[in-house]
This record gives sequence, C-alpha cells and structure tokens, in this order.
Amino acid sequence: MTGTVSVRRQKIPKNNIRRRLLFFLLLAGLLMLAVTFAEQICPYDPNAQIFSTLEPPSAAHPAGTDRFGRDMLSRILVGLQTSVLSTLTLVAIITVVGTIIGVLCGHLGGMVDAFMMRVCDVCLAFPGLVFAMAIAALLHGGLQNAVIALAVISWPKYARIARSQTLALESTDYVAAARLAGDTSAQIIFRHILPNSAGPILVTAMLDIGTMMMELAGLSFLGLGAMPPTAELGNMMSGGRSMLQTYPWVIIGPGIAIFVAVVIFNLLGDTVRDYLDPRNSRRQSSANGKKEQEK
Amino acid sequence: MKTEKRILTLLMAVCLALGALAGCSSNEEASDGGTAGTTFVLGDTTFNAENEEPDVNPHNAYSGWACIRYGIGETLFRYSDTMEIEPWLATEYELVDELTWRITLRDGVTFSSGRALDGQAVKECLEHLIEVHDRARGDLMIDTITADSQTVTITTTEPRPTLLNYLSDPYGCIIDMEVGITEDGIVVGTGPYIVTSLVTREELNLVKNENYWDGEPGFDNVTVLTISDGDTLTMALQSGEIDGAYGMPYASYPLFENEDYTFSSTATSRVFFVHMNFESEIIQDDAVRQAIAMGIDKERFVEDLLDGNGYPAMGVYPDNFSFGGDAVTAKGYDPDGAKAILEEAGWVDTDGDGIREKEGQTLTIRWLTYPSRQELPLLAESVQATLGEIGFEVIINSTADHNSIRVDPMAWDVYASAMVTAPTGDPSYFFSTHCLDSSAVNNGHYHSDELEALAAELDETFDTDRRAELAVEMQQIILDDNAFVFCSHLQMSMISQSDVTGLVAHPCDFYEITVDLRPAE
Repeated sequence: MTGTVSVRRQKIPKNNIRRRLLFFLLLAGLLMLAVTFAEQICPYDPNAQIFSTLEPPSAAHPAGTDRFGRDMLSRILVGLQTSVLSTLTLVAIITVVGTIIGVLCGHLGGMVDAFMMRVCDVCLAFPGLVFAMAIAALLHGGLQNAVIALAVISWPKYARIARSQTLALESTDYVAAARLAGDTSAQIIFRHILPNSAGPILVTAMLDIGTMMMELAGLSFLGLGAMPPTAELGNMMSGGRSMLQTYPWVIIGPGIAIFVAVVIFNLLGDTVRDYLDPRNSRRQSSANGKKEQEK
Repeated sequence: MKTEKRILTLLMAVCLALGALAGCSSNEEASDGGTAGTTFVLGDTTFNAENEEPDVNPHNAYSGWACIRYGIGETLFRYSDTMEIEPWLATEYELVDELTWRITLRDGVTFSSGRALDGQAVKECLEHLIEVHDRARGDLMIDTITADSQTVTITTTEPRPTLLNYLSDPYGCIIDMEVGITEDGIVVGTGPYIVTSLVTREELNLVKNENYWDGEPGFDNVTVLTISDGDTLTMALQSGEIDGAYGMPYASYPLFENEDYTFSSTATSRVFFVHMNFESEIIQDDAVRQAIAMGIDKERFVEDLLDGNGYPAMGVYPDNFSFGGDAVTAKGYDPDGAKAILEEAGWVDTDGDGIREKEGQTLTIRWLTYPSRQELPLLAESVQATLGEIGFEVIINSTADHNSIRVDPMAWDVYASAMVTAPTGDPSYFFSTHCLDSSAVNNGHYHSDELEALAAELDETFDTDRRAELAVEMQQIILDDNAFVFCSHLQMSMISQSDVTGLVAHPCDFYEITVDLRPAE
C-alpha cells in the first residue's frame, strides 16, 4: 500500500499580517481605552440601586437594568474593566515568574532544574480549572485570590517554554563565544537568552489573555472570584443565570462583553504569532528578493 | 483491501444495530418491572444529605421531613391549614395531669407491612426515637410510655405543654419497628405510598399503598428526584421530565404562570432575619443596631428580589399566627431617621468618603450569610446599598462555611439567615434556640433578664392564650433591643403540570404528596 501526504503550504504576505496586526491593535487599543476610562464613560453609578428592576433595554438603559435596579451598561463597562485589568495583571505575573524560573532552570541545570521541573509536572498533572477552584476556595474567594489561584497553576507553561528556549540558545555558537569572552551568567541571560526567547513567550502570553479572562470569569461565575458589589463579568453572568429565560438581557450583556474582549485578544495574539513567525519573514524576504532580481 | 474495509464496515454496522436493540430490550424490561400504571414524578431541591435528609428514616436527623412529605409516614397529630393541632393517627388526647398524656389511637389503621397500628406499635416507635434522636429526646422529654390496646400513655420528666406539637414534628412519624429500618434508611409507615427503592441524592421510588386507611391514593407510582440546582429544576418541569416541583427559584415563576401549570402558594413561618453580634464592639452601640434596623428596605427586597413571593416581616411569626404579623411593632425603612440617630450618637463622616467615623473607628460592619438559600446573598447586596447610603460600609461574607464562622464572635458583626421559626406551630421554639442564655445558636450572645423570665414562664404555661401573650411580649423585647431584625416571611409554592391535582403547599411545609394527589380529570 502506497500513499502520499500532501502538505498545504500557506503563504501569508507580510503586508497582510501587518495590516491585520494594526487593525487588531486598534481594536485592542479601543477596548483598553474603554476599560481605562470605564468609570468616566459609564452613564450611571454602577452600584446605585436606584432604578426600577429588570427593565428591558431602552434608550435610558441601553443594556437594561438588573434585579437590584442597577444600570447594566454601567456595570458591563466597569465589569469589563475589572475583568480585563485583572487578566492583564495575571498574565503579566505568570509570564514574568514563569520566564524567570524557566531561564534559571535552563541556565543553571542540575538540582534546581530537576526540582523545579518536577514542581511543574505536579502543577501540570492537575486539571487546571479544578486545581484553581481548590486554591481559590482555600483562600476564601475574592478577585485577588482568584488571580493568585490561577497564577499558581499557570506559570509552569511559561517556565517550560523559557527553559526549552534557554537550553536551545545555550548550545548556540554565539552564546559559547560570549562565554569564552568571559561574560557572566547575568550578561548571557540578559544579552542573549532573554531577547532571543522573548518571541515565543510573548506569543504565548498574548494567546493566553483570552483563556485567562475566561478562566477568571469562570471562577467568579462559581462564586470564587469577585465579591459584591464589585461588577465583574463572570459574577454578573452567574447572578443572571436563573433569569436566562425570563430576563435574558441580564446575562446576554455581560456574555457579549466577555465574547468581544476574548475574541479581540485571541485574534491579536494569533496575528502577533503570525507576525513574529520567522517562516513568514523568510518567505516574505525571499519573495522580495525574487522581485528585485526580476526587476 | 477494499473487501476487508467492506467487511469491517458491515461488522461495525451490525454492532451498532445490536447495541440499539439491546437498549430497547432493557427499556422494555424496566417498564415491565414495576412502572406500570400512572406515575407522578416530583423534583425536589431539598431531599439530600446537605439538608441532613439523606433517606426517609424519621429517626435519622431531618429525614423525617422526607418520610412525611412523600407520603410514607404519618404522625399522631397534624397541623391544620391555620396551624392548629388536629388528630391524624390519633383520634383524641387527654391531659391527665401536668406530666401525663393519654392518647387514643385511630382504629382500622395498618402499616403497609400489614401490621395493625396499636399502642404497642406506637410505644416501640417512640421508644426507639428517643433512644437514637437527640433533638427529639430534648423536645419530647418523655419519661415513660405505656401501651394498652389502642391507648398510649406518655409521662414527661417536666411539664411539656407543647408535647402534641412536637409529636407532630416529622420525626414523630410512626413506623413499624417490627419490620425495622433497612441499611438504606427505608422504613414502613402508614402513609398512602410505600418505598420500593432509594438512592440518596438521586431518587426515591414509591408505589401505591393498596390498603391505605384514608382513601385510595391517586397514582400507582411516585418518583421523587433530587434536583438541587434551581435552573435544572426549572428546565425539568418545562420539558415535562417532572410533573411537580418543590424549591423552584422565584426568578423562574413567570415561566409557569400560565394554564399549563398549577400553582399552589402559602405563607410559611420561614423568615429571613438578621442576628446582631453583641460581642462586637460596634454592634454594642444601640444607635448602630437601630440604624441597621431602619436601613433595611424590606419592601423593596420583597417586591424586587423575592418577586413578591413573601411579605415584609414585623416580628418572628407570620400573619397566620395569632401572635404573629402585626401583633408586634418594628422599625420600618427610614434612612433619614437612621442618619439622624447616627449623627446624634457621634457617627459623622469627617473625611468625606461616604463612610461615617467615630473616635477613629469607621462604621464598617461584617455581614455574614450563606448562598444555599439563594435570596440571602441578594438581601446582603440590597442592604449593602441601602446601608451604604446611610454611611455604613458593609463587607459581605457569603459562604457555605457560615456555621463554623458564626461560632467565632470575633469573625462577624451581623449574621443573616433563614429559618422556619415555628415548625411546631408553637412560639417557644424560636426563643429557646436563638435568644436565651441556654440557646444553642445564640451565637451573638444576646441577653435580656426580662426575656429569660418570660421564657421560664412560657415553659410552664399550658393555656394557649397566655402563651400567645407571652410570645408577643417576648418578640417585642428582642425588637426593642434591636437584637434581631426580621426582614421577610416567605411565600412557599408548589408547582405542578396542569394534568395533576392535589399538590398543595401547606404553611408548615411538611405535607406534599398526600392521598389527594391524583391525575386531573
């Protein structure tokens, strides 16, 4: 029996990627602007229980009101702020911590490496969200503790990537040359390893923003995240769960907000990955070279 | 190669077909195996171990509730719709002296095992109950039980005016102790239905008691499904998977308010209320307690968050009790009045952050509550906003772990909970459990000399009118001290498909599946 395997070679012109990147950066920028100035642009106090309850969307309340008589649009904007800022903090923490541990493990090797990698194995062996729920419950819930719980389970991925990058870079000629030239470990790490391993780590972090936002909202949905009266998209959806059939706007509004934010960050992450992919750069540069030769 | 593939595909198709046929045959066996005739399926959120109701054995924790609710067991006396005691398995009683009760049993009643109900059967059952059930032993204070044909004579160690009320508690279901209690907690009672199987937290299967003493039960089979999640219960009733539901979330009520469903609602003595912690320095300030009492918008809570399925509470007991409802007076929602009281007591917002201070202490209260009664966190959020306007900062701790936290007086200032304040129809229960020095759950360590004296008098008073007077006086004391704030009494509803009749809500919340439950004609 014989067979052939065909691989479709996808070529993405760099200019397209750049345009996509700019577009998604613009969207992410707008989202960040809305998030940063949420309290200034929301039409009412998000915690004021002053309107009639469960009003459907109208001109005065474009996203309706909730069962406490609070304006949903104001709460969605402030909830988005809570969700996005907590997620960015979380991703920053796990990226920095994971990278530091991974680089040190890769560079130092030996007992430190063996020990930290077994810790990673333990963390990766548990189902992520279940482990996070256990930690969040131990810490008695709250948004800050939910961020800590997710950070505890999420850093190993970054440590693994940083470690493998470090090991690969350690065996390159230029690192060997730097070592021969008498560079210290710190110099090697900061001058050669970190700059060259930043790409994959950055792409992973960008792609993780959406996932982490969902997981954080998931913990809040389960009552292990933000506590009242803090507006957070996950706990807003949880609060409206029983009203899905009767007063759907209470749950649809925060749901759409999470969807939009996650989609923007995921597509941005994808585009950043494409942009930083060296194969795309090579193809692009070889295509440019051919064009110049033809001229 | 192609032939091999064809044979493999054929084999897989045969396997699938065989699997499908096997599924069909097992279904047929199941339907032949005991579900013939009419079947009623009830979805219940409370029938589970979390509510200390893991089986139907009335001598185990709160499982008596399942025994009586699902038509398995019956008590000697029962509650009428107005919560008066009326005969059930007994026909009459005589108070021979303060310590001696003579109860005459109904003739012609048999257990579903076939054994006749007589004095000896009741004696065996009650003796086992007080041997194994601490709460029943403490409530009933039984000294001796003597059986003589259809008469039972009970003597108590102390005067027990409420003995008949306690005998009407679900733990008082009379079960056949000759048959005994199985390992699964299945018992034999005198009710309209007989247990065939029980899987804790999943389902209870019952069949009609053909020899029931009080008429013919309406369904051949009854299944009770434990559905702890309110939204799942909603969808199960919508899809027709269940025929009736107990514990439906208020937010789902609009889905069933049409001709396809039957609603039965009644006010119960379940109340949402707030305990003050007298060990907390800030709560010891009478002005703070008053301001909290005046800062809870009970009307809005009931209308908006309970969707009108209740009414604002004055005191401990609901309107249908002679000593309940407006028999007492309590402070209403008055934010301006509360602000004035706080100002007068020296609580002023000096730094303009919206929270009052006094002598360097901010007006911050820790509000402990729990989420399993889903309206309690809503009450907390509502109060957080209304007290916030007055100048309080309210920190909510809504946790399933509340029972261990509330025993630590340093861990909370205010504790909001829900309870049935008069499960026996008598006023003494709430005070004996919550307000006295000897109370098991007086976690806020409230004390009043006057209340202690009245409670002692209540314990020895047989005259029901005097008991009602004492109940009113005692309620007014705790309300005047702002030791407790009663927010709302709850409306309890049973919802069934319109092709079923007789699923009726009862104020004591004990009776659900009765002989009257039957298919609509």
